[in-house]
Amino acid sequence: MNLKDILSPLYVWKRAFEKPYSINTLSKERPGAARYRGFHKNDLDKCIGCGTCAEICQNQSIEMVPVHSAKDGDSGLRPKIDYGRCCWCALCVDICPSGSLTMSNSYIWVEEGLDRDVQETYCYIPGADQKPWDSEELGYHRPEGYELLRLERVPMPHLPAEERLESFVEMVKGYSRELAIKEADRCIQCGICTATCPAHMNIPAYIKAIREDRIAEGLKILYETNPFPGVCGRVCTRRCEDVCALSHRGEAISIRWLKRYLTDCIESKDYQGILNSEVVPNGKNIAIIGSGPGGLSAAYYLAKLGYRVEIFEKNSAAGGMLRYGIPEYRLPYASLDKDIDYILSLGVQIHYNTAVGKQVRFDDIYARFDAVFISTGLFEPFIIGIKGEDTPGVISGLKLLDDVTNGREVRLGKHVIVVGGGNVAMDAARTAKRLGSEVTVLYRRRLEDMPADREEIEEAQEEKVVFCCQAIPLEIESTSDGRLAMIWGKAEMKIVEGAKRPSPVLIEGSSERLVADTIIAAIGQGMNFSWMDGEAFARIKFGKWNIEADRWGRSSDQKVFIGGDMFNRTADAISAIADGHRSARAIDKLFNPSNE
Amino acid sequence: METLYKELKQYFDVDEFSVQKASLAFLRVPKSQLVSLLTHMKDIRGYTHLVMVTCVDYLEQDSFLLTYLLHNYSTHCDLGIQVSISRQNPVMDGIHHLWEQGRVYQRELFEMFGIDFPGSPDVHEPMILEGWQGPPPMRRDFDTKAYSEATYSHRPRDHKEPEEYMKQQLYPED
Amino acid sequence: MQSLYPPIVNGKAVYDLDSQKYIRVWQGPQHPGVTGNMSLELDICGDQVIKCNTHVGYLHRGFEKLMERRRYINCFPIVCRICVPEPDTNEYLFAAGMEELMGVQIPEKAMWLRALNLELSRLASFLMHLGGQSGAFGMGTVAQWTIAYRDYVLDLFEELTGARIYHMYMTPGGVRGDIPEGWIAHTHKVLDGASKLLDEIKHVMLNNAIFKQRAIGLGVITPEMVDHYGIVGPNARCAGLKRDVRKDNPYLIYDQLDFEVETETAGDAYSRTCIRWRETHQSIDLCRQILAKMPPSGAVHITLPNVLHLKIPAGQTYVRAESTRGEYGYFMVSDGSEFPRKVTVRGPSYSHAMALLEDLLVGVNIADVAGLMVSLHTYPPEIER
Repeated sequence: MNLKDILSPLYVWKRAFEKPYSINTLSKERPGAARYRGFHKNDLDKCIGCGTCAEICQNQSIEMVPVHSAKDGDSGLRPKIDYGRCCWCALCVDICPSGSLTMSNSYIWVEEGLDRDVQETYCYIPGADQKPWDSEELGYHRPEGYELLRLERVPMPHLPAEERLESFVEMVKGYSRELAIKEADRCIQCGICTATCPAHMNIPAYIKAIREDRIAEGLKILYETNPFPGVCGRVCTRRCEDVCALSHRGEAISIRWLKRYLTDCIESKDYQGILNSEVVPNGKNIAIIGSGPGGLSAAYYLAKLGYRVEIFEKNSAAGGMLRYGIPEYRLPYASLDKDIDYILSLGVQIHYNTAVGKQVRFDDIYARFDAVFISTGLFEPFIIGIKGEDTPGVISGLKLLDDVTNGREVRLGKHVIVVGGGNVAMDAARTAKRLGSEVTVLYRRRLEDMPADREEIEEAQEEKVVFCCQAIPLEIESTSDGRLAMIWGKAEMKIVEGAKRPSPVLIEGSSERLVADTIIAAIGQGMNFSWMDGEAFARIKFGKWNIEADRWGRSSDQKVFIGGDMFNRTADAISAIADGHRSARAIDKLFNPSNE
Repeated sequence: METLYKELKQYFDVDEFSVQKASLAFLRVPKSQLVSLLTHMKDIRGYTHLVMVTCVDYLEQDSFLLTYLLHNYSTHCDLGIQVSISRQNPVMDGIHHLWEQGRVYQRELFEMFGIDFPGSPDVHEPMILEGWQGPPPMRRDFDTKAYSEATYSHRPRDHKEPEEYMKQQLYPED
Repeated sequence: MQSLYPPIVNGKAVYDLDSQKYIRVWQGPQHPGVTGNMSLELDICGDQVIKCNTHVGYLHRGFEKLMERRRYINCFPIVCRICVPEPDTNEYLFAAGMEELMGVQIPEKAMWLRALNLELSRLASFLMHLGGQSGAFGMGTVAQWTIAYRDYVLDLFEELTGARIYHMYMTPGGVRGDIPEGWIAHTHKVLDGASKLLDEIKHVMLNNAIFKQRAIGLGVITPEMVDHYGIVGPNARCAGLKRDVRKDNPYLIYDQLDFEVETETAGDAYSRTCIRWRETHQSIDLCRQILAKMPPSGAVHITLPNVLHLKIPAGQTYVRAESTRGEYGYFMVSDGSEFPRKVTVRGPSYSHAMALLEDLLVGVNIADVAGLMVSLHTYPPEIER
């Protein structure tokens, strides 16, 4: 021991004159750092109630409780956080697909009056229960660029635009196994999409089946709600993808392509073995008018329940609009036939070239069958309603598509004008393009108002279809050299009181002229009532545009059901399929009231 | 590591050699040769540091896989020596005479997996779980969740699954 | 001396506690010098310990078992709880093990940030230890300084990671976020202050005659004991062995940093304290080096496949890192499912507090038990996991 060691500790006295470190937190508030992981905040409007936060929480400290009523794309549930369990790891904030959940930098929560239920004092619903830190800007937010989810879609291989114009070969190549599993892996299995799908397909379940490479099981899940998975896997309007939780900050899961992948993986000869549809006949007969998606869907589910089903089809092949309204490059006939053939394999009988009202009377059908399901679709094109529309060379979009399907020779000439902005217009324009014409699309509103599928518009643009928007057709004239001239006027968008979206109003005096060889009108189609006569129809109540029916498709006559485009408002394949399924169950209920 | 394996193969029935990275490899040895291999590694091969001993329960194969991880401070390499023993009669030879901390690992393994090491000091003394009545808890057939549900009271949880809830709300009839 | 120790029958010491010659004393489970709870069952004769039994299990939460039924991403928030004062080592090793089994590489900036975080946590942990060490010898003043100063380091963590104790910053795939604005300047200020504090500690503690008298010669670890007991870290380095995972098996960016492995030769409690004091300086220096050499920008995270159903290919690995107590390791086994088959945590305290402490304490004066226990720097949670 030396003297230095004895004196050295006296150094400590120096500190007596320094400012103390300690701070008095009772008198002075000490806010958390800017990134501090404090109490949760939730933007209730942004939140979609997908429950992913509850899913990733390893402490089960988040439970989803009802706050709003459910609607499309929003379950109405909101996270309620139990701070007796929360460990402040912020994984819930990191994974939040909508980006609504964040954390404040507050860490002190004083609750007065413990007379309430103890649980209520440390659980709250961020956003819904008012807390002092709701308006706090600081606190943990998911850092930019840091993602627990893959927000980008696995790109779908396409034929390049130049190549696809040369033929009607299917332009989407389909996912390989590797790509499909990678895409399915992005799904968070929240199930928000299920409610939006008209057929309420169990989307999370089949995506999980793909991810785990259980293809056969996936197909079974598809057929539970949709006997046209191959078709829907190609041309579905996929409203499910619009509400996908991932679409809020990134790209939706390619639900449609994944469905297609499942059906592409299995050959039609294996369907029977996988789906194993043993049918026990129950002796009842059902007639279905129209073999479109609605009719065939009803036929499939009725046949599975043991009904003997006969379909009356005016054309020479089944499929309705799927065959005659959708061009081959989007839906190859082989894929359509694969789905139809499986439905027919259950013993469904189709009378081709048999139009009700011509070859067979509705009254006879009504008398002979136990129930009738009508799903004829809308096949009467609307007219534009301008002068010169009856000039030769003006055709409807549906006629063009029908002619091409039937292999009839079509001569469109060098220049084609398509009027309309829906899917039929796009199909007509792109078909015309494939037939070698230059195509201009005239549409009344803006490009972003077009009802056609975004993807179809983009693809049409890639294929160099010219879009001319805010153009109101005024008149069609014949020119001296035998061509057609479309006179149209420029429109401006005006917001009319009470209207949901701005309306196009013709600019006074505007008049443009466009010369073409063919003008295709594709502005929608309506119902044809002309075949509906006879005694049976006398008992059925008609509405202004359609037959009146309840949500099950039951008309005022209890043995007549309707479905498909003539019944629902969305007029797409998946809605028709859903109608068919729903009516099939309603028909079954008619004969087996106890079954549910 | 490859050369080491080849040399060891001349003296011991080692197999299932796998290289995880340049400084880490695993191999299997029969139960009877473990202690002699460890002694060999420690005294001759310079693997003097016993990093850890652990056990993985392969319930489906009815076996425990013991891993003895050794480290060589001169080459900075690790060798994981693995032994598969039966789950039915889990008895293993001790290594407490080679490394002092061996006895601690063995006490833990007995407590957590029920693997006995005859002769190891205080091996049957409770180490972590004083007063524990149940089966060895680290075995895979011990279900912690079921245990805690049976043992402790739970706060009721009112969680709704979005998909199910939306169905009830929006389309209960379908 | 002969009469102190009881006769040994069949390998066990036999003595009668009722004889009034021997007393059984429990020290712990709460002890201010040890972060966590652990108790020593001491049999003493006079004021000398003749037998010690370490009892752990006060903090057993069954982490290894919990991890068997959690998704990988859900293990990430719980691993840090295995070691309270230095959680980052756990975070890093778990993430590193996962990344190795998945075969992914994290961005360079993330490696630097991870190393920075590890060094800062070493600094915080050393500060806490130095306080505990001085407190165990009755110098509460130094303990107050260091514990208070540790809070400044925790402030840095709060700003960088969003939390003071359980940072949960090193997520699998990188780190959560880049350095916030103004943080580097703040860090330099704290590091300078810590450096100054260490100099004061040197005056008050390391040069203190009383401390020297009590710590020198206490609990000597000889080089032969090191491998025999599985001693690692500063406890091994105090016996003259140049062993440091950061040098021997460099991980992250430690091969790009300039530092020397600190060693002592005496192997006693005093030399261990000196080593830790120097390593605290080393950590401060390394933090400065990292801040100077770190790339100013770049990605800090990669996006893994959807973590909600992330599966890791079957395999097993062992990853290690140098914590304040020495080699810390994670042995991870994956069977290709969504859950880890087994994660074994190799905490350095395991061998230090159990086998080594039990043997070192024999013959030690009861007053020095706390000092010796603390000088081995044990964190009980990592023993029982």
